[in-house]
Amino acid sequence: MKGSVVQALILTDWHRHRLHILLCLVCGGLALALIQVGGELPTIFGATVFFVGLIVLGSMLPVSNVINERKKQTLPFLMSLPLSVTQYTAAKIVSTVGMFLVPWLTLVVAAVSFIATHPVIPDGFIPAILIAAIFTFVGFCVIAGVALVSESEGATIAATIGSNSLYGFGWYLLIRNPAIRADMSSPVIVWSREVLTILGIEIAVIALILGLTFYLQSRKRDFI
Amino acid sequence: MSNAFVISQSDKRPIYLQIMEQIKQRVAIGDWTEGQAIPSIRQLAVDLQVSVITVKRAYLELEREGVIVTQQGKGSRISPNPGLGIRLQQQELQKHLEQAIRLSALLGIQPEELEGRLREANDNVAAKEQK
Amino acid sequence: MTDLAIQLNAVMKKYRYFTLDNIDLQLPAGQIMGLIGPNGAGKSTTIRILLGLIHQDQGDVQVLGHRMPAEQVAAKWDIGFASEDMRLYEGMTLDWHMSFIRSIYPKWDAAYSQLLLKRFGLRAQQKIKGFSHGQRVKATLLLVLARRPQLLVLDEPTTGLDPVARHEILRELTAVMTDEGRSILFSSHNTQDVEQISDQITFIDRGRIIDSMDKEAYLDRWRRLRLEAPSGIELPALPGIINIRQTGRLAVATANAFVPDLANAYENTGARVQSVENMTLEEIFVANVEHSREEVEV
Repeated sequence: MKGSVVQALILTDWHRHRLHILLCLVCGGLALALIQVGGELPTIFGATVFFVGLIVLGSMLPVSNVINERKKQTLPFLMSLPLSVTQYTAAKIVSTVGMFLVPWLTLVVAAVSFIATHPVIPDGFIPAILIAAIFTFVGFCVIAGVALVSESEGATIAATIGSNSLYGFGWYLLIRNPAIRADMSSPVIVWSREVLTILGIEIAVIALILGLTFYLQSRKRDFI
Repeated sequence: MSNAFVISQSDKRPIYLQIMEQIKQRVAIGDWTEGQAIPSIRQLAVDLQVSVITVKRAYLELEREGVIVTQQGKGSRISPNPGLGIRLQQQELQKHLEQAIRLSALLGIQPEELEGRLREANDNVAAKEQK
Repeated sequence: MTDLAIQLNAVMKKYRYFTLDNIDLQLPAGQIMGLIGPNGAGKSTTIRILLGLIHQDQGDVQVLGHRMPAEQVAAKWDIGFASEDMRLYEGMTLDWHMSFIRSIYPKWDAAYSQLLLKRFGLRAQQKIKGFSHGQRVKATLLLVLARRPQLLVLDEPTTGLDPVARHEILRELTAVMTDEGRSILFSSHNTQDVEQISDQITFIDRGRIIDSMDKEAYLDRWRRLRLEAPSGIELPALPGIINIRQTGRLAVATANAFVPDLANAYENTGARVQSVENMTLEEIFVANVEHSREEVEV
């Protein structure tokens, strides 16, 4: 019985954001099509549309799915349902991150398949791309967590700007590592110890952020 | 059955008194007869959109006055008391008479003059009825 | 032994500028309680504590036998909550909301929900953002009523509604009482509504409960006495009188512990009792709040 309330909430969020999700898919499809067409200009244009689309649409999600519940005063309606704060948090994390996965997975699949099918970029790039992609995922979890815990649009926007600004810096730090930089030019994928360690850290950080979010949420004594 | 009850907001008297009065009126004019079942407390409360406790109070007072009888589990009915209707009518009449006397006092009308006016009113009513 | 739908025991909640202090409240099952008090008195806070949305600092809260806030999920299966600051999803239709609630609650009464649509004059296919204020309030209440919950907790259900809409709501709320096991707690500024349909009345002001009792008994304790004093005499406030105002020879005394003897007592002081009047709940409200604030200051 209880599981189904969380489920209903997640499905509701996805239903209400169906246009948003559709837009992400269209954006991704458009970009992929442009990349398939080939040639430098369409590829760059496609990649830009896609990446920018991902950032913008992804950034809107925590605000529209989490912050708006308080802004539009629908939170009391949801909390009148047989739902604890922890269950609400779980539903919101799954639905928000789930929606982010649509453009994110498309990006990752597009990037990896592009690299794998086009010799212009060596396959050794793939682990680095994965690390970078998961890095944006970590950033998104931070934004979602901040949205839930801070209940503040300002804090969420700050977290969004902060995370997005750090991606470039993260990429820079990554390719500074000589082992990783060397493997990037390899024609085959190399799962080096460095790569695996970094991936492991990223996943641990995601778990930490989510755990912290749940903990802080459950401690709230004046939820509404 | 109880749809014809009307609780007036502008009536200054407490709601339970209004309910009591309307029930007694119905008995007095013969709409509700001795022994007849009346709506349960909850049912009347729902129909009139008033609190259960108010109807309960009205029914308790009516029972105390012998107008209704309530049986546990069987609901309430008008007291199967022969002559109840007549008795309530008498009470109504007495109330009206006392009110007339109070009004006369305010207007400074003496009892003798009041008597005369009563006969006059009686003649008027009889004349109207003949038409 | 009566079942208590709601029981608050020595509940305390402290905020920076406001404290809800020593709240004792009981609502027996099958009754309606009206919660009245000025703005900022603590009505909404008390209601939120009832639902486990706010955790009390001290005291016990039991709703339908569940301890709150620990058992709020279990309790909320049987509670219908609507508050004045609650909104529905404006981009979705009423029909969508009805399906949503129906998918969660097994006790949804589809036939009753259709009847309510008709009675409230609402179009299910319309998006919430197209609803007027009154329609939106009625839509929110429809979603709560059609589930037939054991306990309804309503924060200002008739505020801002036109008289027809108010009447429609009161009709449905009193209809809930057909079932002896169901209870309602509602807060309202509309003293007329509270006076009409409540079995119990609770007065709250500045975080404290001033009065909580049976409505009929409560209304019976209050009277306004219009008195004519003998020349030159200032009439005293006899026991049971909380307030007496005199200009010249005419005085108005407000009693909050009225007994029939009180009129005689005044006659014995030489005054003439012009009339003894019942007071409306609104008049009682104002007199009560003013009196309790004076007492605190003293």
